[in-house]
Amino acid sequence: MKMMSWGDALWLGLTARFARVGRLRRAVLMLAAAACTAAAVLYWKQQTDDSANRPLHSMYSGIEPQWSWLCQHDRCERYQASDTTTLQSLQTCNMLCASTQLWPQPTGPVSLASAAVPVRSDRFSLKVVASPSRDVTKHLNEAFIVMQNHMRTLEHGVVGENRRSDIGPPRDVLVKVSVNGSGDPRMRLDTNESYKLALRPSGNSLVVDITAHSFCGARHGLETLLQVTWLDPYAGSLLILEAATVVDAPRFPYRGLLLDTARNFFPVSELLRTIDAMAANKLNTFHWHVSDSQSFPWKLDSAPQLAQHGAYGPGAVYTSDDVRTIVKYARIRGIRVLMEIDTPAHVGRAFGWGPEAGLGHLAHCIEAEPWSSYCGEPPCGQLNPRNPHIYDLLEHVYREIIQLTGVDDIFHLGGDEVSEQCWAKHFNDTDPMDLWMEFTRQAMHVLERANGGKAPELTLLWSSRLTRSPYLERLDPKRFGVQVWGASQWPESRAVLDAGFRSVISHVDAWYLDCGFGSWRDSSDGHCGPYRSWQQVYEHRPWATETPESAAWPVEGGAACQWTEQLGPGGLDARVWPRTAALAERLWADRAEGATADVYLRLDTQRARLVARGVRAAPLWPRWCSHNPHACL
Amino acid sequence: MALHRLLALMTTMHLAGVLCNVESTFDEITPQIYEPSWMYKCVPDEGCQRSEHPRPTLSDNSTSAFFDSLDVCRIVCGRFGGIWPKPVTAALSSQTVKIHPNYLRYDLLNVPAETRELLVEMTQVISNNLLAECGGHVTEVVDTQVVVIIVVKTAITSLNWNTDEQYMLDVQTRGGEVSVHIEAETIYGARHGLETFSQLISSDKRDFSDVEHCGLVLVSGAKIRDRPIYKHRGLVLDTSRHFIPMVDIKRTIDGMATTKMNVFHWHATDSHSFPLEASRVPQFTRYGAYSGSEMYTTEEIRELIHYAKVRGIRVVIEIDAPAHSGNGWQWGREYGLGDLAVCVNAYPWRHLCIEPPCGQLNPANPNMYRVLRNLYQDVADLLNSPPLLHMGGDEVYFGCWNSSQEIISYMKDQGYDTTEEGFMKLWGEFHNKALQIWDEEISAKGLDPQPVMLWSSQLTQAQRISQHLDKERYIIEVWEPLNSPLLTQLLRLGYRTVSVPKDIWYLDHGFWGRTVYSNWRRMYAHTLPRDEGVLGGEVAMWTEYCDAQALDTRVWPRAAAVAERLWSDPTSTVYSAEPRLQRLRTRLIARGLRPDAMSPAWCSQHDSKCL
Repeated sequence: MKMMSWGDALWLGLTARFARVGRLRRAVLMLAAAACTAAAVLYWKQQTDDSANRPLHSMYSGIEPQWSWLCQHDRCERYQASDTTTLQSLQTCNMLCASTQLWPQPTGPVSLASAAVPVRSDRFSLKVVASPSRDVTKHLNEAFIVMQNHMRTLEHGVVGENRRSDIGPPRDVLVKVSVNGSGDPRMRLDTNESYKLALRPSGNSLVVDITAHSFCGARHGLETLLQVTWLDPYAGSLLILEAATVVDAPRFPYRGLLLDTARNFFPVSELLRTIDAMAANKLNTFHWHVSDSQSFPWKLDSAPQLAQHGAYGPGAVYTSDDVRTIVKYARIRGIRVLMEIDTPAHVGRAFGWGPEAGLGHLAHCIEAEPWSSYCGEPPCGQLNPRNPHIYDLLEHVYREIIQLTGVDDIFHLGGDEVSEQCWAKHFNDTDPMDLWMEFTRQAMHVLERANGGKAPELTLLWSSRLTRSPYLERLDPKRFGVQVWGASQWPESRAVLDAGFRSVISHVDAWYLDCGFGSWRDSSDGHCGPYRSWQQVYEHRPWATETPESAAWPVEGGAACQWTEQLGPGGLDARVWPRTAALAERLWADRAEGATADVYLRLDTQRARLVARGVRAAPLWPRWCSHNPHACL
Repeated sequence: MALHRLLALMTTMHLAGVLCNVESTFDEITPQIYEPSWMYKCVPDEGCQRSEHPRPTLSDNSTSAFFDSLDVCRIVCGRFGGIWPKPVTAALSSQTVKIHPNYLRYDLLNVPAETRELLVEMTQVISNNLLAECGGHVTEVVDTQVVVIIVVKTAITSLNWNTDEQYMLDVQTRGGEVSVHIEAETIYGARHGLETFSQLISSDKRDFSDVEHCGLVLVSGAKIRDRPIYKHRGLVLDTSRHFIPMVDIKRTIDGMATTKMNVFHWHATDSHSFPLEASRVPQFTRYGAYSGSEMYTTEEIRELIHYAKVRGIRVVIEIDAPAHSGNGWQWGREYGLGDLAVCVNAYPWRHLCIEPPCGQLNPANPNMYRVLRNLYQDVADLLNSPPLLHMGGDEVYFGCWNSSQEIISYMKDQGYDTTEEGFMKLWGEFHNKALQIWDEEISAKGLDPQPVMLWSSQLTQAQRISQHLDKERYIIEVWEPLNSPLLTQLLRLGYRTVSVPKDIWYLDHGFWGRTVYSNWRRMYAHTLPRDEGVLGGEVAMWTEYCDAQALDTRVWPRAAAVAERLWSDPTSTVYSAEPRLQRLRTRLIARGLRPDAMSPAWCSQHDSKCL
């Protein structure tokens, strides 16, 4: 029932690359300890010498299926347990065979032992050796507990009392963390996220040294430590590599995921789970596209009217406490929450209460019809740039964003898809582009006021007509940056980079996760397609061009965009993961290779980690391929 | 809580009035503390529309057209209210009456005694679904008596293509009592009537409500006549590429029952894994399951088949053969039976099968047929009578058979050339031997020969099929793309068919290779020929790139679009179906499924404004 092209995506280019697997060799540090691998149980091969004449039923015996995986030629091969002398789980084989199984792949030297020892979540302890501030120490303690809780979740996967006794007692693990650098635990534009991890046996226990220049760096180290710890279902225990050293730092400073909570509402729990999955992939920016013309779910303290008139309903509201919860949760995970209230377009009924409050029209074209004349998708709405109250209001909004998120070095003003027609209808005396430029200038002005008189170091705008010549020249590249979402081949995508604007890449043809689901409105085919596979996400490297200008491009990083016109809470995880994990490695490691065999192996393991964390990530391939990876590559 | 809110509302309305005429600045405006709570109006020919303001002033007394709850608006708005799939005829009242499950009683006096036990289970499912509308707890208690009188004319409890599924449903409210009459030929028709009855009911919760309070309302009057256009309305679920836990399968069955689908086509096995426990041949799972916990025990399978039956759904088990068989069949040599299958897990796979891992049964080995017989016996033991077996039969690769010396010499003995036609003979021989085994095994149970299903393939091509496959015995499931003439050709030759055009009704498309995703509109818009030979259609969930984690969001609500196509085959537009499908989506969520969103929530709050 399948067409011939099955696996074409897999096949393209992979055959040639297979030979490169295993480039990252493991240093076998503990030869003597190799005997201590996840232990061996002898299974006697069943001998049968039945003749064909014997009645069938008497030769069948009901034994549960059981596989064993052995690392051979740098890959794990599956055997019937009864055919081998060693019973080893897939997880353990993967961890001890050729691939590092780390995701994202570290950028510095890595050496990993090929032996494992048993551990238990409650036998891990933290010692903060050096910390520049009490705040950093507190965050380290909390991040450590997060890591321990994830280990505990893994341990819950042990069914019943089947911990094997022959693997030896669990070791104590002392995690020593030193942070020498910033006393600010927040993810900042200048945060040094590098870290070093050294794990080694010391007597009967293990010692882990993590050194970093920031809390965020040290936290990444804990995440890596978590990745060299896994549940062995056959042993019924957590195992950890007996020794490891990792030197690591990200290639790009901005590694984000955008989630749109306006087209469809997502409960706080969904956001938290998404942020946790981001942390598992060392992403650092949760770009929260809070509001749009469809709804405004955030109930600000200073302007509750917006949610009052803009939320889908009383249960579709984020309170300030909700935002604080999200920000705190993210901060412990090394993630900044970048809240975007998109203006001047992409607003709606939330701004419809001006006249009755005596403030005049805060917005025009609200739910105007036919929508196709005034906006890109229904319902329409665009702020009234000539109403001074709108700037008062935006100042309140910006102030609350900065207060709640604690992010004051980077800000997102939105600023995409302004309908010139909408404004032209109301202001026939002025060029709409001039109105837009003036609006942006004023918004920047109130942003400065909201930020204590100081402009954020980087204020992002979506790429638009405003970020194109001749308007681009009127923007100051020292203040503005551009989130570039046009297709990667569009000349505008390069123009902003050539002009020296700091950029975050979100090319629609590679990193828009909402594409490929057809059109949700009858009269338009205004949808992007097709679906961007994880391989496409992974292999997108727009900065790797041969042009002389590209060397100087100020690329801050990138973000995957999950717009939610056709996505609700139930489908969030499978839409976002594992594709955003692919993006995470692109932005962290930016290895020149594409989706090689080793990438499949590591991402498959990472997907299993996400599922274990409660994230409903979609599978990469049939389960048989996880069991027999070499045969599907 | 409610009082507090009301007071707050009045205060702010007052404030707004005062401020209306004065010029003010933003900072002077007292922050308002009420919450958004929209109302909905049923607008003829458009659907339910949200009020312009979060606290509409109901100046006129025509409150009957306004609803606090979007779901309640939907069950009375439009000719077919919130019913999915659309019934043949329906006359619905625009009034509603509050009810409570405690005061709901089923009268089964006019039901044949043999069917009563099953029908009681069916009513329990419906009652649970009503509770689910309120998240399991209906807090608003009213003592309106609701009596559901069910009349079933025949004692038939078997489910097949001849099962009469039509029903009549009347709801009347008089003097504070509601009487519901459901009349059907069979209990399966009655179950559909009950399902439709449950779709006349909604919780009165606001959408995106944050309160616990919940009551149920029922359309106070209804007259519905209904029957399906197609007899076979199925969903294929592949549990071999990924194991799908029973709980997820059952949830899928719940969704099928909600949309009156009636065939769960269980693609239980494939070359990847064999999760189906066969009590006579435990080797299948021992050598074929992904692990000891990723298999279906005989007990679980039996329970599932009953679970489906109570929901009006027949389970068709597919044992795909002779291709798509590998893991689970690779133990023959070890047990002295020779190779039961050939090229199992062969590498490189490109010329031996469609996708890794390869594997094809060995038709030269008589022991293979012995084992197959044992497997068929187990399947026959499990299935309800009359049992329907799907024999698979797709994508046979001659290169695989050609790689086996044993098979080549067998063909020589049989007088088959090793040409394409020779291999076709071998393939046809396999199916006919397998069918004979199946016939013998069910005849041993005292049953008449039954038709079996088979995927379309090289063997079922128009110029070839009649030489190999008897049209009285094989029902061909045609999965060729829309532009293929095969379906029409087979109908002309007199074959009965089930249609699953892969470029429209495959749920896995759009996530791999060059395949294209069909959204619900595209799936809905596709029509099947109205022909005696077209039993119906199926929507297919292959699971190479999907497992239990992503299952619901891939299947729903798209499968529901196909369900309506097959039940009602409507001539009306996709656009007119959308409000009802939005209601179905909230119903599926209430019943524990996780369907995808079809549009921004704003569009579901403003019917027909997102065209």
